Amino acid sequence: MRVSPAIVVEDLTKRYGDVLAVDRISFTVNEGEVFALLGPNGAGKTTTVEMLECLRTPTSGNAYLKGFSIRDPAGVREIKKLIGVLPQEFNAEDDLTVYENVELAAASKGAENVREVLEKLGLWELRGRLFSKLSGGLKRRVGIAMALVGDPEIVFLDEPTTGLDPEARRETWLYIKQLKREGVTVVLTTHYMEEAERLSDRVAIIVKGRIAAIGEVRRLIEEHGGKTRLFFEGLEERAVRSLRERGYEVEVAPDGRAVVKVRTQSEVAEVISTLRELSVEAYPEIRRAGLEDVFLRVIGSRLTERGELA
Amino acid sequence: MRAAPTLIKLLFKAWMRSKQSIFFGFLFPVMLLLIFGSVFGGPSPPNYTLYVRNLDVDQSGKPGALSEAFIRALNESVFEVHLLRPDDPAPRGTGFAAVRILTIPKGFTENLLNVTVANRLEITADTILRMVAMAGESIPPQTRAEIESSVRAIRSFRQTIGGERPKLTLEGSPDDRLLQPIEGIINVIASKFELALLNASSAMEVSSVLTQTKQLRLVDYYLPGYVAAFVMTNGLIGVSLLVFDAYRRGLVKLLASTPLPKSTWIASIVVVQTIVSLILLGVMLAVGWAVFRISAFPDALSLLVILLGTLAFTGFGVAIGGSLREAGAVTALANSVAFPMMFLSGALWPLELMPEFLQAVARFTPLYYFHVALREALIVGSPAGALLPALVVAGLAALGLSLAVVATKWKDF
Repeated sequence: MRVSPAIVVEDLTKRYGDVLAVDRISFTVNEGEVFALLGPNGAGKTTTVEMLECLRTPTSGNAYLKGFSIRDPAGVREIKKLIGVLPQEFNAEDDLTVYENVELAAASKGAENVREVLEKLGLWELRGRLFSKLSGGLKRRVGIAMALVGDPEIVFLDEPTTGLDPEARRETWLYIKQLKREGVTVVLTTHYMEEAERLSDRVAIIVKGRIAAIGEVRRLIEEHGGKTRLFFEGLEERAVRSLRERGYEVEVAPDGRAVVKVRTQSEVAEVISTLRELSVEAYPEIRRAGLEDVFLRVIGSRLTERGELA
Repeated sequence: MRAAPTLIKLLFKAWMRSKQSIFFGFLFPVMLLLIFGSVFGGPSPPNYTLYVRNLDVDQSGKPGALSEAFIRALNESVFEVHLLRPDDPAPRGTGFAAVRILTIPKGFTENLLNVTVANRLEITADTILRMVAMAGESIPPQTRAEIESSVRAIRSFRQTIGGERPKLTLEGSPDDRLLQPIEGIINVIASKFELALLNASSAMEVSSVLTQTKQLRLVDYYLPGYVAAFVMTNGLIGVSLLVFDAYRRGLVKLLASTPLPKSTWIASIVVVQTIVSLILLGVMLAVGWAVFRISAFPDALSLLVILLGTLAFTGFGVAIGGSLREAGAVTALANSVAFPMMFLSGALWPLELMPEFLQAVARFTPLYYFHVALREALIVGSPAGALLPALVVAGLAALGLSLAVVATKWKDF
């Protein structure tokens, strides 16, 4: 099946004086996919999406949303009808209710589906509550509702879960997954590995304004993430020997923990069945390679919870 | 522009729900009007406190009849008399409220009676001699001699009457600029008192003729001044913070990513502020009428001046809030412009009370033209007087709105 691109980015560059915030990046985002820009703070993620949202003028390069150029004033007018935006660290108006805040966004888009959006995001019962009285998770949900009102075809969510507690973060993920099910194209910026890995179809790792790696999440992990590791507590010496004889890479730590590295899911089953043949009852902790490993391999450092390079 | 009515409705709701906006937008100016109007600009004539120490008392402490009557006469004039007993210490001044003490000497009643009788005798003798002189030769010589003899007898009797002119003293601070006028007022009251004792009436009379010129009370000055001052602060401080907050929250980014034009956003803020200004005017007029009986009713010109002032200061507020990126900087700039202007422009008190160089400075402040135009239109009822300052405010409105459009970033924040 041929997928058509919702967004095409070509050599997009943004310079602030001597600082090159975004350096000739190019990528495409297909219709209906969740595309994540993953990177540390200051990597250029927000600058990139704000250029796509027509909120920043590129220094050079161009981008097309549904075929409309972000550099063409007529194109910009059309793009603004297509997109929904949740800005970074967004907070709606404290002295307006949930309904009124979404109504404000709806009015600016000429939309009327306030109730529908509030019901979809589980906010209808809270519509009369002042924004200032909401929890952090609910506030972010109101922001998402403001981005979604008017049924945009492309939604930009800039760090949608930053500052939220784990429960509120997972709740927000559910709504983003729901968007994907509805066929909405979502561009997500995040510095949370787990978020990018769980939500996105494709991810671009961006560091210092340049794309360091891009592709489907599964493929990136396969290519750069390394092997799946099985952790065993106190594996017998004969079992270690037997696994090594069968060609598995086994490391035994000084504390007695044994780590078996495998490439595929079938090899996991093979290792466990081999141990059963030896009458060794072992239940390993399986740690699959993830985006964190990809990031570590590609960038050479880890990303902290606060979005800094460690 | 279909979005504008909803935007205006929601921005107005947010404004009305903000306790800070309600306090500084409505309650604070009403409080100022009530306090300053009551203290300095109320309907009562000015009252001067005067301490009176009456030494003209008998052994039982009962005051002499004439000193008592004189004190009553003082109390019925502009003075608010506070009596001091002979041995009471002098009241201590606060340094701000002047202390003035009038001392009535011992023997006031007796001396005043004697001097009054002596004066009457002297007047009688003098009057007879004048009449004789005027009659001239028509009075026979013998009759003339008898009259002159009688006059000598009257004068001789006058010499036998003792008593000396009572000397009252008025104590006060050398820095009290009202001490001399107050001495003058007491002298006038004393003269009237003496005439009454002589059973005479004043030889001349002054009566008031009312002209068409309207004499404004201070409260009439305050009301348009406070309305103008708080339209200014609502615009410069309130709007600049509102706009800055909308940027900080990402609300402007969200709106700018939609088809909503920048002009609709600015226009909505301006309309909301205009409604707020009109409510402020209505509230102040209602309070002014209820408490001080100010009977001004806004005509088309007053409303136009309010609109122009709101446009000007809202425009400046949008420009400040839209061009600075730190809350501290917005607050500092807005306050450093608004507060000196409020005090220097003569909005809070009459310009005439300020030194000449400050009066000159006032004419460089935009608020000066706004409150003068509003006062001329609303209170004085002089369209001609309001015209020139209103034109200046119109120019400021054009400048403010231009700055707002330039400073409001809808892209490249």
